[in-house]
Order: sequence, then C-alpha cells, then structure tokens
Amino acid sequence: MSEQDFHPRIVAFCCNWCSYAGADLAGVSRLQMPTDFQVIRVMCSARVAPEWIIKTLSAGIDGVMVLGCHIGDCHYIAGNHRAAKRFALLKEMLGFVGIHPDRLRVDWVSASEGTKFQTIVTEFVERVRELGPTREFVTAHRRLDTD
Amino acid sequence: MEQTRIGVFVCHCGSNIGGVVDVPAVVEYARALPNVVYAERNLYSCSEAGLSSLKQGIRAQRLNRVIVAACTPRTHEPLFKNACEEAGLNRYLFEFVNIREHCSWIHRKDKEQATEKAKRLIRMGVAKASLLEPQEETESNVIPAVLVIGGGIAGMTAALNLARQGFRAHLVEKQARLGGWLPHINRLCPTDEEAARLIDSVIREAQAHERIILHMPATVQEVSGYIGNFHVTVAEKEGKCTFDVGTIIVATGAEVLQPLGLYGYGRFPNVITQLELEERLRPPPSPSPVNDGGGKRWESTVFINCVGARIPERPYCSRVCCMTSLKNAIRLKKQNPAAQVYVLHRDLMTYGVEFERYYRRAMEAGVRFLRYDIERPPQVVGNGRAEAVVVWDTLRGQERRLPVDAVVLNAPLIPASDNATLSRLLKVPLAESGFFLEAHVKLRPVEFATDGVYVCGTARWPADVSESIAQAYAASAKAAIPMRAGAVTAEAITAFSVPERCMGCGTCVVTCPYQAIELRIANGGHVLSGTEGLQKQVAWVNVVQCKGCGSCVAACPSKAMQQRGFTDQQVLEMISVISGL
Amino acid sequence: MMNQSVLVIGAGIAGIQVSIDLAQMGFPVYLVERTPSIGGRMAQLDKTFPTNDCAICILAPKMIECAGHKNVHLLTYSEVVGVEGHAGDLRARVLQKPRYVNMERCTGCGECAAKCPWRVPDDFNVGLSNRRAIYIPFPQAVPRKATIDAPHCVYLQDRAKNRCRMCEKVCQPGAIDWEQQERIVELSVGAIVVATGFDPYDAGVLKEYGLGKIANVITGLQYERLVSASGPTSGELRRPSDGKPPREVAFIQCVGSRDVNYNPYCSSVCCMFATKEAILANEHDPQCRSYIFYTDLRAVGKRFQEYIARARTEYNVTYIRGRPGVIGENPQNGNPIVRYEETTAQQLRAMEVGLVVLCQALLPRRGQQDVAKLLGVELDEYGFVNAPARLRRPVDTSVPGIFACGYCSSPQDIPDSVAQASGVAARVAEMLAGE
Repeated sequence: MSEQDFHPRIVAFCCNWCSYAGADLAGVSRLQMPTDFQVIRVMCSARVAPEWIIKTLSAGIDGVMVLGCHIGDCHYIAGNHRAAKRFALLKEMLGFVGIHPDRLRVDWVSASEGTKFQTIVTEFVERVRELGPTREFVTAHRRLDTD
Repeated sequence: MEQTRIGVFVCHCGSNIGGVVDVPAVVEYARALPNVVYAERNLYSCSEAGLSSLKQGIRAQRLNRVIVAACTPRTHEPLFKNACEEAGLNRYLFEFVNIREHCSWIHRKDKEQATEKAKRLIRMGVAKASLLEPQEETESNVIPAVLVIGGGIAGMTAALNLARQGFRAHLVEKQARLGGWLPHINRLCPTDEEAARLIDSVIREAQAHERIILHMPATVQEVSGYIGNFHVTVAEKEGKCTFDVGTIIVATGAEVLQPLGLYGYGRFPNVITQLELEERLRPPPSPSPVNDGGGKRWESTVFINCVGARIPERPYCSRVCCMTSLKNAIRLKKQNPAAQVYVLHRDLMTYGVEFERYYRRAMEAGVRFLRYDIERPPQVVGNGRAEAVVVWDTLRGQERRLPVDAVVLNAPLIPASDNATLSRLLKVPLAESGFFLEAHVKLRPVEFATDGVYVCGTARWPADVSESIAQAYAASAKAAIPMRAGAVTAEAITAFSVPERCMGCGTCVVTCPYQAIELRIANGGHVLSGTEGLQKQVAWVNVVQCKGCGSCVAACPSKAMQQRGFTDQQVLEMISVISGL
Repeated sequence: MMNQSVLVIGAGIAGIQVSIDLAQMGFPVYLVERTPSIGGRMAQLDKTFPTNDCAICILAPKMIECAGHKNVHLLTYSEVVGVEGHAGDLRARVLQKPRYVNMERCTGCGECAAKCPWRVPDDFNVGLSNRRAIYIPFPQAVPRKATIDAPHCVYLQDRAKNRCRMCEKVCQPGAIDWEQQERIVELSVGAIVVATGFDPYDAGVLKEYGLGKIANVITGLQYERLVSASGPTSGELRRPSDGKPPREVAFIQCVGSRDVNYNPYCSSVCCMFATKEAILANEHDPQCRSYIFYTDLRAVGKRFQEYIARARTEYNVTYIRGRPGVIGENPQNGNPIVRYEETTAQQLRAMEVGLVVLCQALLPRRGQQDVAKLLGVELDEYGFVNAPARLRRPVDTSVPGIFACGYCSSPQDIPDSVAQASGVAARVAEMLAGE
C-alpha cells in the first residue's frame, strides 16, 4: 500500500497534568494534525509500564508515544524521571528484539505547549508512515492479556 | 454477575464537534458496540437539558456504565460524575471520551477521518468502561489536634491561631523557655519596637490558652501514622508522653552561624557577631554607647555583611541580615551621633517598601555604606585587638582603611542541627541547603509533599518576624482544612496490591514518592500453596496517602500492583480494540 | 455569632489561594474579580523563577479548583461599589457589569471572537497585539465565557444604527444577550480580603529610556508575552522593529523604582524576573547574550542565589552594576544603545544591543484607591494597603475584619503572596470563630 493510503495506528500516553493539558491546548488553539493517533490518559508518565509498549507494538499498533511533564515539573515529584530511565532502557531493548526504536517516542510537553504537541505528533505520524506497518513480533489474532 | 449495560452520550457541542464529526453516524456506531445498550446524542451534554437527559437515560435504561463523548475531562468530568451519582450510579463507572479538543478541533480539514477517529476513541472508551469497577472513596477521620514542634514566634503563632479556632495544640519546645531567638534580640526592624515586648505578650497568650498543651523542655522522639492519625511520643523531664494528633507543624527555627576564623572572630575580642551586639544593646538601657569592656566609647564601628554567606560553601542569602545591620547601625548612631558607622556590603537586600525606606533612614542618620566584592573581602587588621578594617571600595575604585573600635559580623541563619533527625522522624525532606523542603517552591510554600505535615518560619528559610508570622498563619490554615473537615477522602484512583502475587520485594515501597506503601505480614488469605503456615510480607497501600500516580504499578515485577481506574487490563483492552487485528 | 461568609476582592494568585483555603475550611466565599477571568498577573507570565515552571500550567489547576469549589461563588467582570457594617457583620454591594453574553448558554467555543471584525489593543498582551470587541481574555480563562467590551462594540455604541451583530449571527447556542443589564449583588459577609495585585508603572514617563519612541525598548511584562507560547508571537522572541531575534538583550533594573523622582521603594521581584527573562532569552537562542544593569542584586529567596549563579555560568548572562542614564537608537538597524556608568569600574560606556527590556516599578493596581476608600482601609503613601502592626499582625489592615494579602499589601513574589494569602485564611478563621 502506498504511504498515502497507510493510516498508521498510533497510541499516545499522556499524563493528566502536563501533556494531556498540552494536547487540550493544541485543541483549543485549533492546531491541525493528522488523525492517526489516539490519546490514552494516565495520571503520570510513570504509570506507563514498559511491557505495555511491547504488547502494544506486538498487537499491530504501529507507533507509541509517551508524553510526560518536563523534567523537574512532575506533578508527582519525579515520576517523569522514572519514565525517562525506563524508556531509555526500553528503546535499547526494542532494537535488540528487532522492533525499530523509532516506533517509540518519549517526549516532554507542558500544559502550555500546544504547538509543541502539534509538532511532535505530526513528526511522529510522518516517521511511522515512513517505517510502514509493524510487521515484527505481530501475532495473529492475539488478544492482549495481562499474562 | 449482572450484565454490563453501557450508555453512550455523544455531544454535538453546537457545531464544535457536530460541524466536523458526523455525530449521528457515531451514535449509530456506538449502539452496535459490545455491551452498549443505549446511545444518544445531545446538543450540549453539559447544559441543563443534556444533564437531565443523561440522568433520565441512566434510570430508564438501567445503565450501569456511562460514557460521555464530548470535550475534555479536565473541565467537565466532575460535572458528569456528579450527574451519575444523582442518578444512582457509582461515579467511578463513568468514562469521559474527548472528541473535541482531541478530535474535532484538530482535524477540521478531514471530516471523514475525524469521524473515524471519534468512533475509535469511543470504541476505546467502551472497552475501558466494560472493565470499570465501582469504587468507594475512602474516608479517614482526622483528629482535631495539632502537634507544633518549636515554641518560637512562628510556633506560638500557629498554636494560638489553631487553639482559637477550637483545636487542641500540643506545643513542644526543646529549651526550658518559650520564645526562640526573640528574647535575645534588642529591637525589631523596621518599626524599632522592643523585641521583648512583642515576644513576652505572645508567650503569655500561649501559656494562658486552655487549648494549648505545653511540653517543655521536651523533644519529639517518635512519630508514626499519617494525616488525621499521627501517634506522637515526646520525651519530657518526667519521662515519655504519648498523644495523637491529626496534623503536624514544623516551626523549629534556625541557628546562627558562628563565624569562627572569619574576620578575626575568636581572635580579636572586639570582633563580635550581630547577636552578641543585640545582647549588649538590650535593656536595661545604657545611657552611654556600647561598652566594649575596655571602657572606651565606640567612636568607629564597622559592620561586615555576608560573613560566611553568599560564598561557594554556602551560596544562599540569609535575607534578614542587611536589615539587622541597618537597624543596629542606626541605633549606634542614635547613641553616639558623632560616631563613624560603616556597613560593608555586597548588595543591600532592602527589598520592598518598608525596608527601602529604612535604608534611606540609615543614610539620613549618617550611616555610611561601602560596597565590597567577594573577590576582595575586607581584612581586619590589628595587634591583639581589631584596629582597622582594610577594604577595596568597589564604587570608588580605591582601598579604604577604616580605623575601628569594634567590628560586627553579620553571619547567616543556618539550618538547625537537629533538622536531619526531625526529617527522618517525620519522613519529610530537606533541601540541599539543609532547610526543610516544601512540596512546591512556588505554590505550596508551607506544605510538605507528605499530607498533614506543614512548615513555617526559619525552619523553612530565613525570614523576619513579620514573614515568619504570616507563614505560621499559613501553616495553620493548611492544618485547619483537614481538621475542620473532620475527615479526608482519597479520590479512588489509588493503587492496590494483590497479595497472592506479591513477592514482598519492596520495589513499590521505594518507588512511591509519598511513602504510602509499606510491607505488612499477609493477613491470612490464600498464599502460594505449599507455604501454609509461612508468614510472608506483602505490600499494603495506605489509600489516604496514595496520590494515584501509578509509579508503583509500572515498577512491580510480579504484576501484583494495580491502579484503580487505570488497570493494566483496562489499558491493554483499549489498545486491543483498535489494534486492527 | 459572626457571619461566616467572606468577600475576597481580586482573583489573582493571592485571591485564588485565600478563596481555596477558606472554601476548603468550610466558609462560603464570594470572589469578586474586575476582569472577565480570574488568574491575574501570573496568567500573563511565561515561566516563574527560580524553578522556571510554566506559570499558567501551575496556575490553571488552581483556577479550576477555585471556580469549581462548591463554597466559592465567582463574580467576574464585577466590582465592589459599597461596603458598610463592621467586622462579623459587613454588607457589600457588588456591581456585576453586563457581558452581553448569557453565561449558561455560552460554551466558550470562541467562534464569536474569531468572526468579530472590530479590533481592540489587547491588555493581556500589554498592547503588543489586538483582540476583538467580543473576546475570551486568554485560552485558559476561567470562566471560559465570552465578554463584549461595550465601549468597543460598534452595535452597542449606537443600537439605532443596528450595525454588525456578527457575534450573534455566528453564536450557535444563541448566547448573545443584548438586553443584559448590569446588576447589583448584595452580599452579607463576616470578613473582607483585599487581594487586588499590581499594575506596572508607566515607564514612558522616564523619557530618557525611550519607551514608546524606540521600537526595540519594551517592558518586562511585554517581554513575558513575547516569550509566552500563548502570546502574540507564539513564544518566539522577536523584536518589534523587524521581527528578528535579538542577539543581545539589555535588562534595565529599577526603572522608576528606588528613585526619589518616581517611586522610592523597591519592587522586590524585578532582579529575579530579569534573570529569568535573560535565561529564557538564552534558552530560545543559545547565541543570545544578556546584560542586566542593576543597583543591588536582590535574590533573597530559596535557591535564588543559585539561580543567579547559573544565569552567569550557563546562560550567558552578565550583571553590570550601574543604572543607565540614557538609551539611544542606532537609526540604521533599530538597535538601542545603552549609555551607562559601570560603577564598579568607574567607567562610562555605551553598549549597542538588539533589545532593551525595562524592568519597571510595580504599583498597587489602579482602582486600589477607590477600593480602599470604600472599605475605609489606610493606604501608605504609594497606595499599598497599610498593616498598622506590620510585624505582629502582617495581614491585618487598619479596619478590623478586613485583611490584605499579595502585592497590594507589599511588593512580594509568588511564594510570599501565596503564604500570605493562606495566612489571611487563618486570620479570618480565627476571627470568625469569635474567641
């Protein structure tokens, strides 16, 4: 399928206090973006478990974003620090098991950075389009369980 | 098990959503989703009409899960949750799907795709809602009593304010008398009122108030528990005393740096600290200027500011010392108008209205100011006693030699030496500087991240009397909130541990920023077979302290931890339904 | 038994904080705000020192919490016009100005503002851009409702002519209400809190600095709006004359402050906010150098000295002790030229820079005098609310039952304002307990 027809499926985990609010601001400001992503709200980027990323990518989602507060601004003091460390490690692992590390993007968006949200999302959707659909690790008809 | 009956309410928001997203098509789509028994559209879900339709729908359709697809939960979620409750549905069985800020407003050019996205978002919402469980917000009682640690001006102000609001206040003071530093101070700037008058009246009030229970001299030995129920052990002369309080205020003050080895202090008898000068200036009033023991009138005094402060080893500014220099410089000039009084400074911190006015008064009184630089600090020279101060005057660009009868060193307030102990006892942090670290430097200056514990006065940061009192009031207000309510409720998005899966590794305990998790012996229950009779430690979450960040859940290696309202299962199910497989 | 309600005048961070505290303590609060939205000056800032937290990010949740609390009754676009009684039994009359917008129907979608053809200088952006005659003050406004600025509305200025009414045409919920009247709300309260904040001094009065004549001389608050993501340049630091980013920025401290010719007092926060702005300039453009011209570098709060040290070592900020005498302009490129004495070197110098930021004095809000007269509270000679026993009772005014916090009481930064505001809540609670 051509790049134009390919509508990647992308999930963006956004933390309630910063990046979700930044996404809201992008909306309020009517900043236009590609439709190929869905936001999932969590309270803190530290809630995002690394195995979610693996399971998500192995279920046919083409790209995952984890967006938290800027370092130093975490509503829960240092949750984003943990997230930063976990995902730095995870990115290494992804490459190791054959998933392109660019399918995971971790970034920091504050509640006032609507434009940044727009930029990041647009860039990421483009990148995932370039990479094409996830083929690695996909198990047919696989339901996601916690086990 | 009752059948899941989900209702989906899709909002047009006028044309904000409806002008881009094909709402009728979305409603049709929602109707066909698993577990959805009802779907409708509203022009404005948040309006009176919309809310009323929502409640009616819940009742008429016997809905046990509700989804509203509209704007952002960050504004209207409480509104809809309340509506659910009013209709008899547990407020945690509600899920908000954002199809405005996150869809119609950002995909205006592609209505078809925006509609498809709205459908996907609702599909995700339905998947999550199917797995939502009713939750009860835990209410925890709050004992209407406060522990105030420190009987200085800040501590007494806090204790008095809370006592007057009707609460019991246990005031613990480690010295044998109340008052902190103020009994050692002569006068207070910028009003020049006598410190003794101010502090004595406060001490009398504190001692007299029937709801203030004084423990003195006494120190806090042990504190356990959490907001609403702290169990405190205090060591007093007669032995140990225990009592329970709902809140704690730290008002333990600060100490003053002894500038040993700096500028001849300790070597020259006429080099003294500001505090020592205060003692000498205090009443009974001396008709002649300060007596240095040698019988001479001080004809020339030099104050040196920033002694041991604003240096690499101690970078902070102690905020109150410039004014103290001015206050005492003015006093010396008043006692002996002919005397030469110099203030050597590196920036004069007379901020605001009153302090700047005081600076002008000092200039008018004939106090002389000389600006020096950290690279070329003043030298105190002399034989057996300080005879002169040699300093590079940066504004004149020349060296000055000032003959002196006395040199007064302005040293900073430093963290009290038992801050570290108290920090461990109360599980509250210290900043790099050694002063206590509040929850948020800008917006939560007198609270700790740990609920129920507050801080004020110089324990937090150098402050003058008026600032300490304002902060003491602030800490009282914060403490009064839970005590007045009588209870604290936790939003039910807290973490919980499944004991069967828990290994007792303790990772969650150290991960939690709020110290809300501890390991406890598992209470019966079904543990791993083959281990009957073995007592294992499992994680236990204090839901009152848990703030619902979910850090522990992601950290748990055995998947024993989960977060209510954000379980792994819920999130993965949301992804499952759009993964296209 | 004293009336347990409280009237708070002014909904900046101090007013918001005291309202939240009192509401959480169980007291009904009437929060009166003159402008259409709560938030005050903090909403105009980009970041706050010394943490460089995004100002609106930390403020917006408080705004929502305050407005959403069941004990807080918000009266925006309103002013207090009368007060009588005594502590514990006060009666206030509040004038609610007509917005000509039905608050129940308005959803804050902003279509009206997008379509309104009439432009008005935007106060929120300190005149750097325009808004419309019908407007929502800023994206995170609470309440998020439109307001028609009647003097600038072409229809309201002459209804007979029946011009425009574009907002009405595009408003889907039909929220435009031309018949809306001002109304008087009568309140009975036990205590009143003054939290009216500050206005910047008009630095144009100091002709030698060229504000209003030299394009690239702006004020501190204007700079905040330039670097704010929600400001007129979407957060890009571009100078007014040609839109280019400045390579050097000069910050002039104490403009109209600590000056017997203008305002003799110190505005307290400028040394720190200039440092912050200089740091931001370098964050926007690592090649950018800043020069801060100061007299005494006042950094007395937590981690303030470390902030200054970092500005020096990491962000290309140089501090020069000296108050510039005059600012000129290079006609070829619009660069301001700062002439000053470097007092620690006893040298007269001139420096050409890309942009000059005047850190001007901050005064109690216009209108403070009127409020004070109504309440009978004493002001000092500069208009700050006087605390007769400033040491012992820092938040009490000269009138029992009336308290003050925040900048209107004395020049202070956000943490001190917030602490004072909470302090007022405790004083009010103590007083209303009646002991």
